[in-house]
Amino acid sequence: MKKIYFIILAVFSLIYVIVEVRKKQFSIKESFWWFIAALVMVLLAIFPYSFDYFAKLLNIAYPPSLLFVICIVFLLFINFKNSKKIAEQQDKIIELAERVAILESESQDK
Amino acid sequence: MDKILFVIPAYNEALNIEKVIKEIKRDAKFADILVVNDCSKDNTAEIVRKNKVKCIDNVFNMKYAMAVQTGLKYAYKHDYDYVVQFDADGQHIASEALKLIDTMKKTNADIVIGSRYLKDLGYPCPIMRRIGTKIFEIMVRISCKQRIVDPLSGFQCLNRSVIERYSKMGGYPEFPDANLVIEMIRAGYKITEVPAKMRLRENGESMHGGIIKPIKYMINMFYTIFFILIQTPVKRGSK
Repeated sequence: MKKIYFIILAVFSLIYVIVEVRKKQFSIKESFWWFIAALVMVLLAIFPYSFDYFAKLLNIAYPPSLLFVICIVFLLFINFKNSKKIAEQQDKIIELAERVAILESESQDK
Repeated sequence: MDKILFVIPAYNEALNIEKVIKEIKRDAKFADILVVNDCSKDNTAEIVRKNKVKCIDNVFNMKYAMAVQTGLKYAYKHDYDYVVQFDADGQHIASEALKLIDTMKKTNADIVIGSRYLKDLGYPCPIMRRIGTKIFEIMVRISCKQRIVDPLSGFQCLNRSVIERYSKMGGYPEFPDANLVIEMIRAGYKITEVPAKMRLRENGESMHGGIIKPIKYMINMFYTIFFILIQTPVKRGSK
């Protein structure tokens, strides 16, 4: 019963990602990692014991801790990517604003 | 007389661009040329201006696709009837572009693709590239029930309605290849192919070089096409 509950939850998040992209609220390119994450969630909900296997493989005594590690690494990864993108965009916006200001003043002079 | 524009996106093509421009001026006199300089680090823009060709400088390096879109926006604003997408590396042959434009006028197609593989014209192509093209050909065939032999060709002629759609498109894809072909066919645009000769590039690097880039490209493509199939319902015969 618990298993079904988690499967429904995971499938719902997958559908949510797909629907957002379908409505063009979310770009295809940016959705990639969220789509992968949702897909992994679905797989884990269907095969919850696969985690025990990976934990054993990596010599981890308490399997759920592996889950936490993966989640944290994934979130850090996405966060880092976003920070990088924001920094890039900030530079670009400043560059654009400066160019627009110069162009505007030049067109006023004419 | 139809207004025709050659859009040439260029990034660090100082070694090739002059030859390309001269060839177009010689073989396609009726057309205007626009070079979109995608923030090149070499003197591409200077060479273009020295040859008295219109040159737009992108503010940032936005990669191939966005440089093309810049050109299409210019074409739309200046009321061009046809745009020929032309590569700056000398792969495309100007006289072959006439075939594309002729076909477009005759068949009333919206997009005409210059295809390397439709007829064996002796294009010496790396095997991996050939396999990749084959995969995309199959994907186009399955999702659109139309055979496009070379959906990865950047040598295309677009009519006014396509210019308008592309130039207004938010999120123009980073690699406008098979995904865009599929999207346009499903949206009801008519695409035809003509065999076109091409050369191998002489100087500079391909944007699909290395090992990791092609893998990334393939994953990106599969993912994008999957979503295009969901996003764009099939509409036939209407725009």
